[in-house]
Amino acid sequence: MKRRSFLATTAAAAVGTQVLGGVPLKAFTPMNMPVQLQPDDDRCLIVVQLFGGNDGLNTIIPVEDPQYYAIRPTIAVPKDKAISVLSRVHMHPALAPKDSYGFPQMFEDGRLAIIQDIGYENPNLSHFRSTDIWLSGFNSSDPEVRLLDGWLGRYWSNHIEGFPEVLPPDPIAVQIGGSLSMLLQSPKGDIGIALTDPKTFFELGQGLSPDMTPMSEETRYGREFNFVRTVAEQCDRYSSVVKNSFDKGKNVATYVDGGFVQQMKLVARLISGGLKSKIFLVYMGGFDTHVQQQDEYQNGLHPYLLGQLASGIGSFMQDALAQGFADRVVGMTVSEFGRTPFENGSRGTDHGAASVQFVFGNGVRAGVYGQSPDLNNFDGNGDVRYQWDYRRVYADVLENWFGGTAQETESVLQDRVLPLGVLQRTTSVDDAYEGRVGVDVRVAPNPASSQATIEWYQPVNSVTTVEVYAHDGRHIKTLLTDRLAPGSHSVAVSDLVSGSYVCCVMINGVRSVAPLTISR
Amino acid sequence: MKRRELFSSIARSSIRPTAPFEIKLQVEGGIEEHTDPLTLDDVLHLYRRLSYSVSMPDAQKQVGKTARQVVTQLLGPKDPPAPLRDVNFIKWRDPATGQMVDYTENPEGADLQAAFAIRSWWGNNYRRLSAWHTFESLRDPLSVERLAHFWVGHWTTEFSFDDQYSQPHTLYNQYLTFRKDRLGNFRDMALDITLDHAMLFYLGGWLNDAGRPNENYARELMELYTTGIGWYTEGDVEQAARVLTGWKVARFNDQPAPKGIYNTWFDARKHDTGAKEFMGVTIPARTADNNTEFQVRNEEVRELINIIFRARPEAVSRFIAGKVYMYFVYSSAAEIDRQFVADLAKVFRDSDFDLRELFLSLFVSKHFFDPALRGSQIKTPMEYVIGLLKQLRFDDTEVAPIDSASWAGLMDQALFDPPNVAGWPGYRSWISTNTYPRRREFARKMIDTLTDARAMQLIKEMPDYEDVTKFVQSIVQYFLPLPVNDTRLTFYKNTLLEGQPDYTWAEKLNQPASAARSLRALLKTIAVAPDFQLC
Repeated sequence: MKRRSFLATTAAAAVGTQVLGGVPLKAFTPMNMPVQLQPDDDRCLIVVQLFGGNDGLNTIIPVEDPQYYAIRPTIAVPKDKAISVLSRVHMHPALAPKDSYGFPQMFEDGRLAIIQDIGYENPNLSHFRSTDIWLSGFNSSDPEVRLLDGWLGRYWSNHIEGFPEVLPPDPIAVQIGGSLSMLLQSPKGDIGIALTDPKTFFELGQGLSPDMTPMSEETRYGREFNFVRTVAEQCDRYSSVVKNSFDKGKNVATYVDGGFVQQMKLVARLISGGLKSKIFLVYMGGFDTHVQQQDEYQNGLHPYLLGQLASGIGSFMQDALAQGFADRVVGMTVSEFGRTPFENGSRGTDHGAASVQFVFGNGVRAGVYGQSPDLNNFDGNGDVRYQWDYRRVYADVLENWFGGTAQETESVLQDRVLPLGVLQRTTSVDDAYEGRVGVDVRVAPNPASSQATIEWYQPVNSVTTVEVYAHDGRHIKTLLTDRLAPGSHSVAVSDLVSGSYVCCVMINGVRSVAPLTISR
Repeated sequence: MKRRELFSSIARSSIRPTAPFEIKLQVEGGIEEHTDPLTLDDVLHLYRRLSYSVSMPDAQKQVGKTARQVVTQLLGPKDPPAPLRDVNFIKWRDPATGQMVDYTENPEGADLQAAFAIRSWWGNNYRRLSAWHTFESLRDPLSVERLAHFWVGHWTTEFSFDDQYSQPHTLYNQYLTFRKDRLGNFRDMALDITLDHAMLFYLGGWLNDAGRPNENYARELMELYTTGIGWYTEGDVEQAARVLTGWKVARFNDQPAPKGIYNTWFDARKHDTGAKEFMGVTIPARTADNNTEFQVRNEEVRELINIIFRARPEAVSRFIAGKVYMYFVYSSAAEIDRQFVADLAKVFRDSDFDLRELFLSLFVSKHFFDPALRGSQIKTPMEYVIGLLKQLRFDDTEVAPIDSASWAGLMDQALFDPPNVAGWPGYRSWISTNTYPRRREFARKMIDTLTDARAMQLIKEMPDYEDVTKFVQSIVQYFLPLPVNDTRLTFYKNTLLEGQPDYTWAEKLNQPASAARSLRALLKTIAVAPDFQLC
């Protein structure tokens, strides 16, 4: 069904139930629905939450580091048991489940990025605070600072015009199971729906139209009333949308048993059936492996979880490739922290800091980002230090995947965050039309001893900002902010200490980058 | 006329206001005691928050009393009455087979079939425990089960987590501790739970040995159970873990079990006897001679808790007062009334952490009865399920407790099995597109279960039920937290009378089947209103 006619049918159905027993429903006609509601591109993001804190050191194995074997006498993965991929990375054998598209193959095929030692400054060792830090995108351990909504919730609630007074035809986000995550909450209300299975959702969700108009937001009672009312409306509206996609969709890959794997299967089927949600959130618990995480045969709780993870994502990618939607999806894992580098006395590990993150899909720039953890240089708590700020991948998602601007990233994260570059930016027709395109940035000389020149060709008249960031993403200096005419432009950069830098030219909210090395 | 007076006068009159919520209401009441005689609305509000709900006749008996009188009655004696039903999860007769079943076998090490059977028995026992809890809650005229239930969500223990199970019997024992300690000194509750069998197992305390520390409980004791995050160092966590070494569980037919099955015992060899430095206080080293259960319990574990309360009294009192506030008054973290919580925390500190003082001060305060806070709480699944069953005047013969428990589970509150160690997140997380349809389905099924006789009983319990307008107003007052506007009242009356004129109500009352059918239709309509989820 075409988008326009789909809108028309939904609206007509809604108008039909406008009056229920004499109490008018909120009017809902096609006129209320701005066309920019449903973003034109059909890309989506799958967020895989690994709750409990995944043990990065036993996921990507530092087999060349004797210190790893010294600090993990009973739970280390021996070098001959780890799976060596392209001689560059060694994975836990559980990441290559039998009869599935495992992580080693996915990495070789260029569909997997491995980000080493991702984390944040002043790691918080509480599951809950750290989860909130990850999901909100705000790194604050101050208990007085309440983290109440998610980075994706804030982005989409602002990005979609009219939200939440007018809901888009498809739910912006779908969470499989559970209560709706903070990730999908925004100051304007929930941007997503939670469902366990589409059939039940359809059977129970029908006819839940609230029989009254919203109340004044000026009382607590009114605000909570309106919150419930919106959920009721989402149930009613989206139960049939989701059911339609589920019925139209299919799975062609084989999925094994297991809660997480089955969640991935459902997501594939909904995408295959045409559901235009931007975010799917799936969840896996059990990573809090304080006790008996692994036995001497690399079996046990943690390997089981890694096997489920790889199998679910692998089958999903097979499905996406076979059904032709692989170019439209990327996924990322998030886990609140890693584990202690030293194993504890119960064949387990306790709450740690930086860990490993996976980003998968056809749109990733595959590879390993960063070095193996330095096991001789821990932070003050004896934990792995972070190399990459976790929000850099978020900036990638917002700018390079969802096509947001650098200004939107800054407004969502309340900070200047440079994308890590793990996702490839592509330009839509609309982007090109409105001058939102990347440019070639040249830096010469490079490496430089003191001064270098940054050059680019300005395609449109626009406010342009040129910034220098350190290799780790810290903002160093802004060289220029000015409205520039089309044509060639250059700006000099100097006064940098020796090190690796990223030069960033931002035109119309789109960043283009080039590396720079200074060696004095 | 002040807004406050306007609201009170409206609420006390027999004619319900049409749209009081259009008035912008500021919270005016603080910690000072609410001394006005309670109105019917006040009584219903108090019972919804503290005792799940109350029948209309019982509510009317309390009208005119002071808040202190009613709250004192509802809190009940410090030592709780015994549960109505005694349950034993270790040995009991299986009704299906008539056989005595013994739950002491360890599934680890048993053959696959036996292990599977044992685990499925645990599942049965877990359901029995949940059913017992809903039964006791439904029959409790006070707030014993409600307060114990609150502490289940605070000092969390999960029935099933990762690939482990807490035995239902230990969860049951822990619950009895919450009942016993619910109005006592919070320090004593902290000590009891720190050495509680289910907690020792759940947070790995039983694996915490000298030289092989497991910090899990030590951290949560502070972060989630007493001070809240930010009031201790990582060093304090390590030292607390050392203090807490040596406590063991006795599961199944494990040996040794010096205190018997499912009772905590102390293994002196596993206790770290070295000196500890915790929050700036030294707990001295001990010799083998005084490394006994009695001494370690009193000189180290109790001392550890005393140090927390001595060193961080502000943090503990604010953390607990804040949590109680969000659970019983208003759950929005963004809008927590800091001044009131600070005042409540002070009461708690000044009473040396007496929980009875904390709850009494909260529930008799002007703040609690302030009109601006009415109807702002999203019902938890337990409030929703037990509250509706109480309102419909069901007893356990009409709705099996085991079904009530599983309904709460479908609404994301599996009893004794919170999602993680932080407990149920509460507030708006209770209402999602996953759970809202379940809530509506539950209400519809319960209303369908209402027999004609029960329906007539319910009708006749409403004041002035023969006047159809007053009857509808009473039903709204009884089932919804605040009055509704005229449009809704008219709509509800039309639903009840199937569009017929008012005088037909008298005819319906003479035909119980017809009146009951009408009541069920009305209740189903009310049950889909958003404010049916609020209290």
